[in-house]
Amino acid sequence: MNDTHASPTQEVCSVVVGDTLYGIPIAHVLEILGKPATQPVPLAPYFVGGLVHYRGEVLTAVSLRRLLGMEPAKKPEDVLVFENGDGLFGLFVDSVGEVLHVSAADHEPNPATLEARRQALFDGAWKLKDRLLVSLEPERLDPMRLASAFSA
Amino acid sequence: MDDLTREFLLESQEGLDRMERCLTDLENRPGDTELLADIFRSVHTIKGTTGFLGFSRLEALSHAGENLLGLLRDGKLEANPDIVSGLLSLMDILRGVLRSIETTGAEGESQQQDAAIIARLEELQIGEAEVAVAEPALSASVDASTQPAKFHKPRATRRRGHGQSAPPPAQTGEAGPPMEAEEPAAGPQTEPRSVAAAQKPSSLPGRSTIESSPPETQAPSTSGTADSTLRVDVELLNRMMNLVGELVLTRNQILQATNADAGFAILGRRLDMVTADLRESVMKARMQPVSHVFSRFPRLVRDLALGLDKKVRLEMEGQETELDKSLLEAIRDPLTHSIRNSIDHGIEMPEVRIAQGKLVEGVIRLRACHEGSHVIVEVHDDGAGMSIEKIRQKAVEKQLVTPQRAEQMNEREILQLIFLPGFSTAATVTSVSGRGVGMDVVRTNVEKIGGKVEVDSRAGKGTVLRLRIPLTLAIIPALIVRSRGQNFAVPQGSLTELVHLSTGENDTRIERLENAALYRLRGRLLPLVFLDRLLQQSPREPGAPCDIAILNADGRRFGLVVDGLADPEEIVVKPLAAVLREIGLYAGATILGNGEMALILNPGAIAQNAGVSLTAEIDDVVDENRVGQQDFLLVETGNRRAALPLETVVRIERIPRSRIELAGSRPVLRFEGALLPLDDAASDFMDAAGDDPTAQTTVVVCRDGQRHVGMTVSQVLDVTGGRQLEEAGSGLVADGITLLHEKVTGIVSLAAIPPLENVVERATIESAEEAR
Repeated sequence: MNDTHASPTQEVCSVVVGDTLYGIPIAHVLEILGKPATQPVPLAPYFVGGLVHYRGEVLTAVSLRRLLGMEPAKKPEDVLVFENGDGLFGLFVDSVGEVLHVSAADHEPNPATLEARRQALFDGAWKLKDRLLVSLEPERLDPMRLASAFSA
Repeated sequence: MDDLTREFLLESQEGLDRMERCLTDLENRPGDTELLADIFRSVHTIKGTTGFLGFSRLEALSHAGENLLGLLRDGKLEANPDIVSGLLSLMDILRGVLRSIETTGAEGESQQQDAAIIARLEELQIGEAEVAVAEPALSASVDASTQPAKFHKPRATRRRGHGQSAPPPAQTGEAGPPMEAEEPAAGPQTEPRSVAAAQKPSSLPGRSTIESSPPETQAPSTSGTADSTLRVDVELLNRMMNLVGELVLTRNQILQATNADAGFAILGRRLDMVTADLRESVMKARMQPVSHVFSRFPRLVRDLALGLDKKVRLEMEGQETELDKSLLEAIRDPLTHSIRNSIDHGIEMPEVRIAQGKLVEGVIRLRACHEGSHVIVEVHDDGAGMSIEKIRQKAVEKQLVTPQRAEQMNEREILQLIFLPGFSTAATVTSVSGRGVGMDVVRTNVEKIGGKVEVDSRAGKGTVLRLRIPLTLAIIPALIVRSRGQNFAVPQGSLTELVHLSTGENDTRIERLENAALYRLRGRLLPLVFLDRLLQQSPREPGAPCDIAILNADGRRFGLVVDGLADPEEIVVKPLAAVLREIGLYAGATILGNGEMALILNPGAIAQNAGVSLTAEIDDVVDENRVGQQDFLLVETGNRRAALPLETVVRIERIPRSRIELAGSRPVLRFEGALLPLDDAASDFMDAAGDDPTAQTTVVVCRDGQRHVGMTVSQVLDVTGGRQLEEAGSGLVADGITLLHEKVTGIVSLAAIPPLENVVERATIESAEEAR
């Protein structure tokens, strides 16, 4: 419906981690799980936040906080469900906000001063009226991809 | 590939499967017109459809088969082993072509091969008189070239269709028009065994050397089922299974939430019932009778027996026993392996059998049956059995055990050695088996699906191999254990027993050898693996109570130390994402009845990770054949060690010492509404209790004839086997003592506890009753 090529605006799901607002194209989000029960996995790669139960499946969920090297969350987190080649995976975020309409014209690439790890994860940012909305692509958060990118 | 072709492949595959079953039956009942009609139909259907789809090679091949079968069906020709061999070869080629269509979409080219088989089938049509002369050459040429591959791995045979088998046509070509060949032309070029195999049928014209199955299992009622069944994609079933699992969880949550409202509760219960039924139905949909796997074996047995010049009859029992489809696939190879072993090493040559007074024909019995939540599949042969001495020698020779150790092992332990990697007793490596990759592969494959393999063998009598397979893979019984506040599931299949260590006990009971923690289980040292340390969880405070789950995985025995135990539960196994599979210690994840998640531990991987050695198991094989041994409960009473015969022990109770009462002069205990007479030492415990109301003691409740009596003990030490002691010189068995842990120990005489009625006055009992 809101293809970036056809239309200058697209819908993004806004999520908060720490003090930053992130946006994920809504078309990629299969479902949002509000504060689900989670199960940590000992010995898992650092970016794995734990397991989440989703429709009879047990999903591996990536923790954005851990990916960004932040303190673990004090409160229960929300989980977004995405699809990848391997099946489904989840993403832990502090909380999920409203759906925002953003315009491609407001999009800027990552600043050169951004630290390397974040460079690899972020896909630029949209300039909202009063703050920035960091663009996240679910593809880059795929646990398989992260495993080969970071454990090496 | 279009749907039509896919449908055709499935249908043809089924047709060929049916044909294979019927053909081996045909050898026993050459005149059975119904069987012939069935086979004819299968080939005819393939031919009809191939013409339509434009598979000309298949059409030509099936046409040749159809002609021969037509003559058989119309009674113009009598089926004999040669004809059956011919038709079976045709089938193999057809299978090859089908596979080629499946993978490449095209039939593949092998004109020489096709010409050879078509020519052979045409010759077979000419009738018995002429065939008797021509056949040796023919079957020798075809069989000889195919057998080495065929006997090595039956799958390889079916691939012949891809044109890799140049030899047979070449040979047939050399032999010229084979019908005119006066002598078995191909003979000189072939291996001796193959020639023997090929000539065999002609020396026994019309007589079958193999019977595929006993008559009661034969009647194949294949027709009629086709209309009431439907092909379903396994993926769809898997998905359904997942959804049902989800439904079960939702149901559980609803049941918890509906406690308040009565009307809602009734609905909830109804949902509960429907869900349970649905779950069962979906599980059933995944079940298939073992005959799907068994049906391949008549052919296998036939070919192997012919190749080895042995006479073997295959009997099959319990073919209707159902098993989850994925498990069925998983036992195919182990079973094939076992049958191959039985024919190659088990069943003797006919002359040997006669010399030993056995029937010439060896019997392999394949049996499947249910036993609790398992399916047992047995491969039984009445062959030579295994020589314990030979296995012992071989194991030492191959350095699988030390000579000293081998000497100490009993028969049962020795038999287990055949499952060690690299073990093979075959005197010579034959093309069938004997390369040392045998039984360990069988065991690994079966254990992979949560099953077990047992073997029993008597020299000269035969061997039984028993596979114990769980009914389904999707749902397994597991024990939920806790470590640092997290749930983990341990598959029950590898769990042998549980040991609880209370506060403070783990300091004394867990021993250390350098860095290795060990637990002394009935006198044997068991390596311990601490789950919290293994998983690098926050360390547990020292001295806290813990449980040890004694696990036996892939032949490795160890104790897994966990914080605590929760309930055993039937769990639905969910796969883990690849990144987590790579950790290697988890077999999957599951969702528990209470909605929590748990990681499923992989005991085999944990053992390997912790470096638990394989041979540990052999030391610990449960020994059932001990002679002159009895099991005892070793207890300590006062400062004395004493032995209680284990079969008399009913239960062990911890009771407050204050509960011991006196009835007359006898110490007694009120126990389950009755009065339990105690041994004399109980009075000492009473005294020792003094004013401390919390002091406890252990009472071992024992059976003495009809009555129960109690033994008060300060500590239960162990369960162990005791050896009889003989008096020096006289050789008389000493009464009342036994050798436990190399120490002479007195056996408690339960009869020494006097019956209550003689000692206690009625009044005392009444007062005891009142006190209650």
